[in-house]
Amino acid sequence: MNEFVVNLENKEFNISIDKTNKVIVNGKERNVELSKLSDFSYLLKVDEKVYHITSEKKDSKNYSFFIDGFSYDVSVRTLLEEKAYELLKNKSNNNHNAVVKSPMPGLVLKIKKKVGDKVEMGDSLLLLEAMKMENDIRATSSGVVKEIFVSENSAVEKNEILMIIS
Amino acid sequence: MFKKILIANRGEIAVRIAKACKEMGITSAAIFSDTDKDSLHVRVADEAYYIGSSAATESYLVGEKINEIAKNIGANAIHPGYGFLSENSNFIKMVEDAGITFIGPSSQTVKLMGNKTSARTLMKKNRVPIVPGTTEPITSVEDAKETALKIGLPIMLKAAAGGGGKGMRRVDKIEEIEEALERTKSESMKSFKNDAVYIEKFIENPKHIEVQILGDKYGNYIHLFERECSVQRRHQKVIEEAPSPSLDNELRKKITEAGVNAARACNYHNAGTIEFLYDKNGDFYFLEMNTRLQVEHPVTEFITGVDIVKEQIRIANGEKLSIEQNDIKIRGHSIECRIYAEDVDGNFAPSIGNIYHHRLPSGPGVRVDRGIDVLSEVSVYYDPMLSKLITWGKDRTEALERMLRALGEYQIAGVKTNIHSYQWILNHPRFLDLSFDINFLEDDFLPLLPGKWKEELPNKYDEVAAILAVMLKQKDSEIKPKKNIRSTSNQWESLSHE
Repeated sequence: MNEFVVNLENKEFNISIDKTNKVIVNGKERNVELSKLSDFSYLLKVDEKVYHITSEKKDSKNYSFFIDGFSYDVSVRTLLEEKAYELLKNKSNNNHNAVVKSPMPGLVLKIKKKVGDKVEMGDSLLLLEAMKMENDIRATSSGVVKEIFVSENSAVEKNEILMIIS
Repeated sequence: MFKKILIANRGEIAVRIAKACKEMGITSAAIFSDTDKDSLHVRVADEAYYIGSSAATESYLVGEKINEIAKNIGANAIHPGYGFLSENSNFIKMVEDAGITFIGPSSQTVKLMGNKTSARTLMKKNRVPIVPGTTEPITSVEDAKETALKIGLPIMLKAAAGGGGKGMRRVDKIEEIEEALERTKSESMKSFKNDAVYIEKFIENPKHIEVQILGDKYGNYIHLFERECSVQRRHQKVIEEAPSPSLDNELRKKITEAGVNAARACNYHNAGTIEFLYDKNGDFYFLEMNTRLQVEHPVTEFITGVDIVKEQIRIANGEKLSIEQNDIKIRGHSIECRIYAEDVDGNFAPSIGNIYHHRLPSGPGVRVDRGIDVLSEVSVYYDPMLSKLITWGKDRTEALERMLRALGEYQIAGVKTNIHSYQWILNHPRFLDLSFDINFLEDDFLPLLPGKWKEELPNKYDEVAAILAVMLKQKDSEIKPKKNIRSTSNQWESLSHE
C-alpha cells in the first residue's frame, strides 16, 4: 500500500493505493481502472463512471488535467517527498540570490542592465514584447546583476530565467 | 468566376476561406511564413507559397510581396481575411492597380471609413445616429472645453486616424482637458502620423451591437441582422451571439436600417459590419465600420443560412446579390466562444507550445472553425486565437446548453487555453439575465484573478483529478524499475530542483 498527498485548487487529498484497482481517498474506498490512450489522453473509471481526461505531465510531481471543460493543476507527492518538500520550503527562505523569471512568453526587446550593474528594487531590467505590448520587467530586489541568460531579440518562454541578482 | 484566389492570411480564417473556395471549385493559394510551413491553412489550401520569416512585418504584413506573388501565380483575386492588411487602403490600391480583384470594398471606401471624423460627418448626413460630439478635429483648448460643457462630462478624446483602442482618453473634469488633449495628440502623432483629435460624449456601460451588411457593386444592400458582442476583455471580444438578445423587434428594425443606410452612404460593396454602442436609455450610436469579414461571422451564418464568405466572392466577381431582404429570416440562436491559447490566471499571457492532443466537439448544432491540428505549433509571432467554437439552438437556452456540452468535449493539450473560464462566464447571472455590458468581464471577472473565479464553480472533478495524479505517479514508478535503483538514492537531489 503506497500513500500519497495530492494538492489541487487549495485542497488536499490523502490517497492510498494498492495494485488491486482500489484507492482510498480521504478514507473512502473507490474502485478504479485506468486505460492509456496516448501520452496525453487517458480513460479513468471511478466506480461506475468513465472519464476521458487530457493529461500533461510537468515533472514527476506535477500534472495538468483537463476534464469536461474544467482544468486542474495537480501536485502529487509520496509521504517521503512531502516531508522533504516541507523541509526544503523552510530552507529556501534564507536564499540571497533573486532569480528574475519571465512572467510570460515573448520577445526580449531591450536589455537595460549589464553584468555587474547595481540595481535598486523597482528598476527596469528589460523590455519584453508580448500580447502586442511592451512589458517592463522590473527588479523585485536590490543588488548587483550577477548573470544574464538572454540576449536582445531572443524569444523566451514563460518562467524562463532571465537574470540573477545577488 | 475566378480561377484562383490568393488568401492573404493565416490561421482559422485562412482555413475558412480555403474551404469556401473548394466548395466553389476555385483554386485556393495560401501564403506561409517560416513558422507556418506545416500549419493547417497550408495543408487545406490547394497551393502554398513561402512569403518570408516568421515576424508578421516580414511576411503577412508585406503588401508588396503578397501582390507580387499574386501576379506571378496568376491569382485573379485576393481575399484578405481579417486583421493584417485587410483594412489597409494603400495595399488595396496596390492590388487594384495590379488588375487583381480585392475581395472587399474599394480602397476609397476603406480610406474614407478609416478616418473617424470623415466617417462621423458622413453618418450624420445620412441619418445614422452618432455619439454626440464633434465631427471636425479640435482646433483649440477653448474649443474643446466649450464642446465638453455643451455635451456634458465625462467625454472621450479620440484620434481621428485611430482605432483598436489606441489613441483614446477619457476626461472627467474640465481642468483635465488641456493636458489630456496634448497627450492624445502626441500619442496619435506617434501611432498614426496624424494628430487630429475629436470629442465624443462618454457612453456609460453600453452594449456593443453590430449589424452585418452585404452590398453588391450595383447599389443593392441587405442586412443579415445583428450580433451582440459585449462580452470583452481589454477591447478583445470573447463571446458573440446572434441575434442580440437585448433588442426587441422595433429596435432591431431601427438598428439594421441604420446599418444599411451607413453602408449605402459610403458606396460600400462586399461584406461589412457597422458597430454601434447601445446604452441604458435604449439609444444606439454609430461607433465605427469594419470594412472586412469579421471573426464572429459564423453566428450570423448559423441564424440566416447565408455563407458570407461565398457571398463575398460572388460580389467581388461582379455578381448581383442573389438574396433579397425578405428572404432573410432569423432562425434560432447562435453563440460563439473564442478559444485562445492563453494563461487566464497569468494575466492572459499567450501560451505557446505544440498541440499534442486535439479532440474536436461534435454533435447537433456544433461548428468549429480552427487554425490548428495535432502537432501544430503555437508561436509568439501571431494572435493566440486557436479556434472558434460556435453552436446553434432553437433559442438562446438551447444554444447555450449545446455550448456548455461542446466545451466539455473540446480537448486541447500542449498549450493552456481559456476553455475553463467559459464555465464561469456562461453560468454567470449577468450573462444569463442580459444585464451584462461591455465592462462585464472587467468589473466582475478580472477582480477574481488569479484563480478565485474557480472557487465560484462547482468542484465537479477534483477528486477524479486527484485519483488520476496518484495512479499516473504510481505507474511511472512501476515501469522504470532500472532507473529506480539509482533514483532512490538520489531522492534528495531530485527534490532540490523544485
